[in-house]
Amino acid sequence: MNEAGQFEPKIVAYVCNWCTYLGADLAGTTRLEYPPNVRIIRLPCTGRIDFNLIVKAFEIGADAVLVSGCHPGDCHYTAGNYHARRRWILFRELLEALGFEMERIHFTWISAAEGRKWQQVVTEITEQTRKLGPYKNLYADTGNGSLPIPEAAPAVDQPAGSEGSLRQRCHQLLADGTVKVVIGYGTGGPVCVTKPADVGRLVWNNQCSSNLTTYLKRQEVRKLGRAAIVVKVCDERALVVLEKESQLDRKDLHVMGMACNGMGQPKCATCDVRVPRFADEVIGEVASVPLAGPPNAAPRGGAALEVLLAKSPAERMACWAREFERCVKCYACRQVCPLCYCERCIVEKNRPTVIDPSPTVKGNFAWHITRAFHLAGRCIGCDECTRACPAGIDLRLLNLSLAKAAEEHFGYRAGINRDVEPLIGAYSLQDKENFIR
Amino acid sequence: MSRIGVFICWCGENIARTVDVDALAQEVSKFPGVRCAMNYKYVCSDPGQALVREKIAAEKLDAVVIASCSPHMHLKTFRRAAQLAGLNPYKVEMANIREHCSWVHHDRAKATAKAASLIRLSVEKARLDHELQPIRVPVTRRALVIGGGVAGIQAALDIADAGYEVVMVEREPSIGGKMAGLSETFPTLDCSQCILTPRMVEVGQHPRIKLYSYSEVERVEGYIGNFTITIRQKARYVDISKCTGCGDCWSVCPLKRNKSEFDYGMGVRASIYVPFPQAVPARPVIDAKTCAKIIRNGCGLCEKKCKAGAINFQDTDKLVEEKVGAVVVATGYKLYDIGEKQDKASLAGYGEYGYGQYKDVIDSLQFERLLSASGPTNGVLKRPSDGAEPKNVVFISCVGSRDNAKGLPYCSKICCMYTAKHAMLYKHKVHDGQAHVFYMDIRAGGKGYEEFVRRAIEQDGAKYYRGRVSKITQEDGKLVVRGADTLAGVPITVEADLVVLAAAMRPADGVAELAQKLNVGYDEFGFLLESHPKLRPVETNAAGVFVCGACQAPKDIPESVAQASAAASKVAVTFAADELMREPEIAGINEQTCVACYACLRACPYHAIEQAEVRTPRGVFVKHTARVNPGLCMGCGTCVAVCPSKSADLEGFTEQQIYAMVESLV
Repeated sequence: MNEAGQFEPKIVAYVCNWCTYLGADLAGTTRLEYPPNVRIIRLPCTGRIDFNLIVKAFEIGADAVLVSGCHPGDCHYTAGNYHARRRWILFRELLEALGFEMERIHFTWISAAEGRKWQQVVTEITEQTRKLGPYKNLYADTGNGSLPIPEAAPAVDQPAGSEGSLRQRCHQLLADGTVKVVIGYGTGGPVCVTKPADVGRLVWNNQCSSNLTTYLKRQEVRKLGRAAIVVKVCDERALVVLEKESQLDRKDLHVMGMACNGMGQPKCATCDVRVPRFADEVIGEVASVPLAGPPNAAPRGGAALEVLLAKSPAERMACWAREFERCVKCYACRQVCPLCYCERCIVEKNRPTVIDPSPTVKGNFAWHITRAFHLAGRCIGCDECTRACPAGIDLRLLNLSLAKAAEEHFGYRAGINRDVEPLIGAYSLQDKENFIR
Repeated sequence: MSRIGVFICWCGENIARTVDVDALAQEVSKFPGVRCAMNYKYVCSDPGQALVREKIAAEKLDAVVIASCSPHMHLKTFRRAAQLAGLNPYKVEMANIREHCSWVHHDRAKATAKAASLIRLSVEKARLDHELQPIRVPVTRRALVIGGGVAGIQAALDIADAGYEVVMVEREPSIGGKMAGLSETFPTLDCSQCILTPRMVEVGQHPRIKLYSYSEVERVEGYIGNFTITIRQKARYVDISKCTGCGDCWSVCPLKRNKSEFDYGMGVRASIYVPFPQAVPARPVIDAKTCAKIIRNGCGLCEKKCKAGAINFQDTDKLVEEKVGAVVVATGYKLYDIGEKQDKASLAGYGEYGYGQYKDVIDSLQFERLLSASGPTNGVLKRPSDGAEPKNVVFISCVGSRDNAKGLPYCSKICCMYTAKHAMLYKHKVHDGQAHVFYMDIRAGGKGYEEFVRRAIEQDGAKYYRGRVSKITQEDGKLVVRGADTLAGVPITVEADLVVLAAAMRPADGVAELAQKLNVGYDEFGFLLESHPKLRPVETNAAGVFVCGACQAPKDIPESVAQASAAASKVAVTFAADELMREPEIAGINEQTCVACYACLRACPYHAIEQAEVRTPRGVFVKHTARVNPGLCMGCGTCVAVCPSKSADLEGFTEQQIYAMVESLV
């Protein structure tokens, strides 16, 4: 507040060193006056500006954030702004789903010659934010919302005889030494079968919903030697992503693909491929289940996501604040995720503390934003995070919002195509930028 | 605890007018880590810098913040000052309280408060600044020149004359490039070979130039100062160390009716041949596609005839490695394929001109060979179909250039000039002939260029029609050219004996693949990208790789030569120091925590990140990791943003610094 009792917004601007910073310099050289509310953090390139910084700015009480860099084609480092643009496209969708007030997050291209544009942008953002008032709704449970309940698909019996064929094949593989261990489903959970005589422990029924690929990153499993793994088509997508990210060598793995009739999980309601496509062998045949669509059809995030997105931002934020209130930061969502394989998670990095480790609403938001966005363009929708969450938080909705964004903006579905490069780390000159001023 | 000195500059009145510098210094001195804060009228002046140096010594400062103008203005100045006082120059930060504060705000209280906040940001950053040392990279003082046309020749000779060794790689059997095939050159009409061949010989004989003809660049590894180039020497079937170039082989070869590449199909050559008499090296090559010995183990006459025993039918491609410190790319151009078969979907060809269908419709480089004294007709102008002297010749410019519909949008720049030259040379050879030129615009910018075009029109009587040709048909042995004269507003029909098409200039084949090997950018047409069109016209974004000639954009001989000399001088600058010094503000990977997902590797615009292994001192494999090549990293930080475990970090803008800055804004 200033002396007149007028609200003075705090605006954090992350700008690149070569275009926008110089644009702001030019505004100074030409004496173009603007409100003094903006604080510039100079970074070499927009490519360096990651989403954690935007979250951090709001955490320290910024009322608006501006991210600005070189126009397309002008990047001092040739392509940093293109990489940044692609990340922002996805990140904005996540923030939307979480109920952030999008009118507080601004992206612009301002060149070294556009001193006047800098002046206009800063003036307008300041005025706009002044009207919006302080960002009170950040992480606020305003008391009016709860997450929609996901609808599950009916449980169907798995193809008859698949279980027998699976056991028979695993017996063969173990007996002839092709593999040393079979990672499969047992009656009480996952089993690692190392002896041919034990293949009877393997089961295949409509309780086999979990994604076993997550065990591939475990040291104790790796030590057992060359593995065969039982996967459904949804699990198989994780293998594609892991392979693309150099986390596994398919030569070291024998993939037993199971034709699947669905496991009665919410993810099954929108499943459109039932037979694994990249497995070393496929066991069972599925009756011609009417597929919901071809593999490249729109990702049907399901009705729950639609219901969430139909709410107002404040309601969405309230929903998540209420959900995250319950989070105890046990990190089960991380442990169970086949694609969270970092040896030291970013949340454990303390110089600097990127994510507040405390299980407060603020710290929980920071964690869940990070978890979800680290899976942007990578999450294969196995929903293990949601199933593992002891607090029952429907984390899948965040993953789905990003999967939907990846498909809508880039026609990309993680783990579907082995030949396509990962979404993050690549860019296209055609990436949309209608949100960038 | 840090001992930071903050120096607030008045910049005369520029800052002091709007910012209360005394109050500011008082407030700033209370910031954690600040040892002393003071203000001075001009900190950048000599006494100002002396004050900074004095304080560094007296107060044992371990970092300095200068609150004055933009770091783009004076950061280097103050880094030097700190270095003189024995402080690591990378422990200097600036707070921009002039451009970003005093010049744009008028309210004194608000401006002073903002200035304090800006200084606070810089203090936080300075507190966490690391002492950095410039990166020293050793330099191999040898250059690679790719392409032996006029640009490559000029660059190679300039670099070699400066005292450095040069490795030249030329794809064709001889150097000389497109210029060696030209007749005479505009605007002086001096004979192309007369000016070029002595330069070619110089390259061939230069003690510091190593020439790989009939060779291509296979692989490029390393970075500025330290490239390792793998060169593929294509099987020549002739040992050029034994061969004397006597010519017995090609005179005895029975297969003499192969189309000559050098004559663009206007002439013929034997299966063992030198592309043209003045070739460098003047050693033959066997065309494996047509040689009877190689195809079906027949003939072998040349082997029997060769007294030197230089023929080797068992020859294979050889790979050789060369170490160089800089690369000059001079791969030149090719002409637009006028026929209908096109390599890009956006190009449609010009089937209506009958190129490839009518023998007497030729492109400009073919016409050059017909004009050339060393060409297939020995300089007597005969048309390809029946050898008759053409009495009416139509020249069509902009075939493929400036045509968004089925060609290329850009201007090929040299066609207006060489078309005028063609019209002129034609008149000099066929005195009773008539040249007709269809043009869109005449672009004759250059020394003596406009006068040259006027000469073609006024002295040599070339008829110029402003308009396009819609169709060429053949009727009674005549080529009927139908077009328009848009200035007169009438349709024009010319019965021609010969039609010459000024096809657009495109980058040579394979340049995109080469650019990828070198990590050089290229535009949608395949022309290589310079670093900056005005200030760094021959540098590329790959450090140590330079471009010259028509591989960068369409250009004529004088421009190519000038650019080649510029590239050579840039190479000489690179080689002038014993070691290259690079800014140390680059990325690094924490190999302990890296999980080798290689997101950084895919995102890095400079391909500066490589896959590596962590091993114990005894060589036992521990894990895979990403690793930054400090010779290539330019410090953009894109890797830091994509690294999920934040194992990547960037010196000068470390994660800790940025978070400390943001958190100070609470």
